[in-house]
Amino acid sequence: MTALDASSAPGLTQSSGIGPRRTGARRFRWNVGLLALPIGVWLVFFFIVPFVVILWYSFGDKPSLYVTHSNDTLSLGRFAEALSPVFFQTFARTLNIAASGTLICLLIGFPIAYWMAVKLSPKYQGLALGLVLVPYWTNFLVRTIGWQITLSPQSFLADVSRNLGFGTPELLYTSGAVQLGVVYNYLPLMILPLYVALERMDHRLLEASRDLGANAFEGFRRVTVPLALPGIGAGLLLVFVPLMGDYITPSVLGGAAGSMVGQMVASQFQTAQNWALGSAMAILLMLAILAVVVVFAIIFKVIGMVIDRVERVNVLDDAKGSAA
Amino acid sequence: MTATIDAPATATAVTGTETEPKGHRRKVDVGTLLLTIWGVLGFLFLFFPVLVIIAYSFNTGRILQAWDGFGFSSYAAALSNPAIISGVQVSLYVAFWSAVVSAVLGSLAGVALARSPKAKWVGVLTGLLALTLVTPEIVNAVSLLPWFVTLGTDWGLSAFNLGLVRLIIAHTLFSCAVVTFIVRARMAGLSVSLEEAAADLGAPPIRRFLDITFPLMRPAVISGALLSFTLSLDNTVLSSFVSVAGSTPWPVFVFSSLRSSLRPEIAAMSTLMLLLTLVALGLVAFVLSRASKKTGEGPSLASTLAGG
Repeated sequence: MTALDASSAPGLTQSSGIGPRRTGARRFRWNVGLLALPIGVWLVFFFIVPFVVILWYSFGDKPSLYVTHSNDTLSLGRFAEALSPVFFQTFARTLNIAASGTLICLLIGFPIAYWMAVKLSPKYQGLALGLVLVPYWTNFLVRTIGWQITLSPQSFLADVSRNLGFGTPELLYTSGAVQLGVVYNYLPLMILPLYVALERMDHRLLEASRDLGANAFEGFRRVTVPLALPGIGAGLLLVFVPLMGDYITPSVLGGAAGSMVGQMVASQFQTAQNWALGSAMAILLMLAILAVVVVFAIIFKVIGMVIDRVERVNVLDDAKGSAA
Repeated sequence: MTATIDAPATATAVTGTETEPKGHRRKVDVGTLLLTIWGVLGFLFLFFPVLVIIAYSFNTGRILQAWDGFGFSSYAAALSNPAIISGVQVSLYVAFWSAVVSAVLGSLAGVALARSPKAKWVGVLTGLLALTLVTPEIVNAVSLLPWFVTLGTDWGLSAFNLGLVRLIIAHTLFSCAVVTFIVRARMAGLSVSLEEAAADLGAPPIRRFLDITFPLMRPAVISGALLSFTLSLDNTVLSSFVSVAGSTPWPVFVFSSLRSSLRPEIAAMSTLMLLLTLVALGLVAFVLSRASKKTGEGPSLASTLAGG
């Protein structure tokens, strides 16, 4: 008993411990675990159980016009329906917009994050970070409406185009408009983790690589990118996941040409009143996201291992070279 | 071995300082210049639609997209429109209570996670919280709607038929995880020795919490609550699913008027809401910077948001 107490009580109390104080410390630890109970109950009741419910619905069907769902006969029919050509097209388009949107965010965001973390003096970094966040915390929907105003045929951009003799450009309600909208809406989610990773980087490593004869590109490839890899991974995840389920951006900017899975799921619940099919679509969306994330995590791990291996071989070669 | 590596390094260092400082310096400057231009353009891109909304809030015309003239008529119209005022009131009310609930649940969980790093349930809870952060909002929305109907209609728990209750619950799902991670980050950086000292001096658990633990975690709780508040104000997808007629929050009002026609009042009220959000964010930044000065941490807001 005493041995158990001593091992569970850290550092300071160990030296000064007499009976009653030790029990105090142990009760404190026991209570602390219980503090997590309310959030656990809350999330199970309002997050896990509702998800299990729609999982259950997805195996049922919509028996008649006025009933949203029924589980009298269980089948995988709704999943087959959700993957039929009509809906599959939207799945494919969503995956396409999400994948290219995530990559464009990385290409635009990396230089911005690098500039903020490495080139900007630490005095202004907090301000820059705040500036990245300000538009992000403006209402998502309202910002997207800002783009709708800009791209609409009545906008100042269209006026400029007409005055220059190019006619009225057709920008709104295209998949290009959706692509622009999602890149805009999720860019801050890419910049933040990249900034955090690059800011933590020890800049002396880059200087060391210069001193050892690496040029700027080599230093970037062999020092900056490997160190930023966790940030890149986090950014890709933070952008890709909400982008796959986005429902606001395509509704505001996409029209019929750029609709995405999120709208399809929503319309099954709100207009078509087919909860069984809508549930199956939501489950498929969730599975698709999980699959992409898992595949990506594996690819990332492999890239990390390859970089590691290549670097080791290079270092060995260099060492052999200089030894010879 | 060390000698062979050291020798070329010092050699380059010496030649570097003697022969090529000018060329070296200029090359870096071109790169920096390009990066600066890219960064500034990036910031302009991020601010562009916000500036468009602010500009168009002064549109005196009837349709938002069609510029008519400059004036403040839309602000007057927005502040005298009962539907807009009620939407903002619902949003503020829901945001307040979802911030309170998230702060309580998240703070408790944050302390529990930070103070028992080796317990078996830690992995499960962290995974659950991470799952709430990566689940697309639309999936949460479509699963909550049938669940609220089941609870309210089939089980007769009439509280779940109230729009405000539904909105508050829906908004806490995401933000209680955010608060948990902020509080955990804060508590993990603090030593347990103060609490143990209080325990050694005979303070009962409640007293220890109120006098020692809570004051230490207060900055994290306040910033987490304010973040939850702004997240709730921003929420459109969940809200449009779970809200019921009579308690339409502001973003849902905007979303539904998107289908008919957008009027400049929407831009005017959005500008006012932006000012409100900025004030809230300013408070978060102030609290966090004061806290990080005390403990000497880095930019905790960014690292918390990035999950670090």
